[in-house]
Amino acid sequence: MAKHGLDTTERVHTAGTTSIDRMREVLDAIDDIRELPDALLPLREEVLANLVMLAQIAAPTGDEEERVRYVLDRFTEAGLPEAGPDEIGNAVGFLPGAKGDRTIIAVAHLDTWIPKTVSHNVVVQTDRTIGAGISDNALGAAIVSMLPTFLDQLGIKLDCNLQLIGTVRSLHRGNHEGLKFFLDHAPRKFDFGIVVEGVELGRLNFFSLGMVRGDIACNVRREHLSRYGSESALVVLNQVVNRMLGISTPSRPHTRIRIGKMHAGIEYNTDPDHAELGFEVVSDSDEMVRGIISQIEDIVGEMSARTDVDVGLDCFFHREAGGIPFSHPLIKTVIEVMTQLGIQPNQEQILSEVSEFIAYGIPAVTLGVTTQQRDQKKTDHVMIDPILTGVAQLVGTIMAIDRGACDER
Amino acid sequence: MNAEQWLAERTFHHSNFWDIKWLVEEKERQGLSISLCLPAYNEEATIGKEIVILKSELHDRYPLVDEIAVIDSGSADNTCEIAASFGADVYLAEDHLQECGNLRGKGENLWKALYLLRGDVIVYVDSDIANIHPRFVYGLVGPLIKDPDVHYVKAFYDRPLAFSTGIRPTGGGRVTEILTRPLFSLFYPELTAILQPLSGEYAGRRSILEQIPFPVGYGVETAMLIDIYEKLGMEGFAQTDLDTRVHRNQETIALGRMSFGLLRTLFRRLTREQRAQFEDELPKIMRQFKVTDGEYQQVEFLIEEIERPPIVEIDAYMQKFHSEQVTVEQ
Repeated sequence: MAKHGLDTTERVHTAGTTSIDRMREVLDAIDDIRELPDALLPLREEVLANLVMLAQIAAPTGDEEERVRYVLDRFTEAGLPEAGPDEIGNAVGFLPGAKGDRTIIAVAHLDTWIPKTVSHNVVVQTDRTIGAGISDNALGAAIVSMLPTFLDQLGIKLDCNLQLIGTVRSLHRGNHEGLKFFLDHAPRKFDFGIVVEGVELGRLNFFSLGMVRGDIACNVRREHLSRYGSESALVVLNQVVNRMLGISTPSRPHTRIRIGKMHAGIEYNTDPDHAELGFEVVSDSDEMVRGIISQIEDIVGEMSARTDVDVGLDCFFHREAGGIPFSHPLIKTVIEVMTQLGIQPNQEQILSEVSEFIAYGIPAVTLGVTTQQRDQKKTDHVMIDPILTGVAQLVGTIMAIDRGACDER
Repeated sequence: MNAEQWLAERTFHHSNFWDIKWLVEEKERQGLSISLCLPAYNEEATIGKEIVILKSELHDRYPLVDEIAVIDSGSADNTCEIAASFGADVYLAEDHLQECGNLRGKGENLWKALYLLRGDVIVYVDSDIANIHPRFVYGLVGPLIKDPDVHYVKAFYDRPLAFSTGIRPTGGGRVTEILTRPLFSLFYPELTAILQPLSGEYAGRRSILEQIPFPVGYGVETAMLIDIYEKLGMEGFAQTDLDTRVHRNQETIALGRMSFGLLRTLFRRLTREQRAQFEDELPKIMRQFKVTDGEYQQVEFLIEEIERPPIVEIDAYMQKFHSEQVTVEQ
């Protein structure tokens, strides 16, 4: 196929049209989106090589330096004029556009939930790549690190700037700290954001529910530890759970309390002196989330006062509800690009860094790169064949934004 | 060049050759072609990763390696399918040089690679490396590109560290430390400077590899060192620290069979050089024991350690690579 080199004069600016009309005109002008996966085929091994090498670098949250260095090496080799770590340690690259009249920021988190002690060995089979943390988010990181290479392979010269970030301290208690820091200290204004996650192809997140995540820890007070018949931290935690389950959660606005993990005890014959649980409260309404958290605080305080156990609540993750409407041209554009590539959009809500863009008022989406076979017993893996379609979706979206398809009127 | 000089001048770290772009430029200036050979037998767990990484980094992005080939011994798993799907040339060893007959073993694959591959330099990398990285190749070809006097480069993986009590052992494998190093100390003292004589990764110029015999089994690495040493002395060698290598660990009993083959290879060379004599031919049977239901059973393994001749003695090879010489002789 011909190179996808986009002459900047092709930008569509038709007075009097709606944003949807403009989006359609732009996408019609990019008539070869369907051919992008084939055009990217020469880079298949390079994508897989980057994926394997990144996935084999352990990067638990807070310990991402080696992955940052790897991504920065890729940025430098791709010839980005700006490539380096920021103060908090994010891998930051910048590809200036011919005009620089708008800036797209593409993000992938570099940290994983996998401790360094777990084997990070990767196996490449004919149809899939297998390894701990490979879908979350070694693949997303590999793709963001290669975005300049994809554009170069396709002969695409963007008018807009492209800001690339491999973020640190994203997961769990990291609380998106890396991205928050970057956006707090942004060197320029960002017009659109794209969060890249390894899976699932078709993923389209563009709004976030209000959410608080927290831990509740029960510790038997030291002075009661040796007393016969002392309280069990586990029993007290169980009482806390029962009280939490008694909190009413309305279906409108949609609200849910999810108790996701618990841990207590080591032996059959010993009362646990420590017990803990992790929970999240999600709702369309921030007010509802605040109200429920307030009730949980009351439960924790009361249980602490009525028992020999210190019950502590630590809410470490807060996210405001919000997002762009489904009618936003960015969403329409992404859906159209997906449709052209035969991708079925899936708007299921999954937590991602898109919430930070929403908080900063930047229209943004989260996109997945490839598929995996859903089975929790299977080792983490990603399917190889759909990857280039996922990349095409990303490149197609960037091309459309670059040509003005997502501008609001 | 004494041992200290050789160690100082010919021992490298892979980071000495990190500038792959320079290696490519220099390789092209010298008109060298480089082939990567991955001998394989049932390596489906690692072969895909090796090819993806080495092809992407050293063929597609930086054209340091001109061809990547898997020479397979008849794998029963998906080794060949996986290798081919990621763009490697795949050869089944028994399908080639059939006029020479078929033997099984890594050395057979390495020997046939000389015929099947085109490069002036052949890089041999085992197919079972879990932590494969481009350094396993550029670290080995670096000294060959840098110095025309180097003809063969051997990998090692642990750096010798100075301890208060002296020098820490190099961390060579069990066979290296218990068998090979003592034997080299007795018969080829200079070769003890090669820190890991049995490592499975090495690179050599075709011009020297084609002149030496290849044991098809366990002894191939040892034979290469001794035979190249006999022809070029230590001046022909270099070695490169490739840092950590993660691979399958062999059971001690398997290392016993390896040692048997290695000893046969070494004794063959000692008798060839008339440095040792045996009244009778050495046995080819290695005897080991196993316990089944409380009874000891002797298990016999035939380990012949057959050797392929220098490949320049094979007509098909000479026709392919030295046709001018063949014509003149005719």
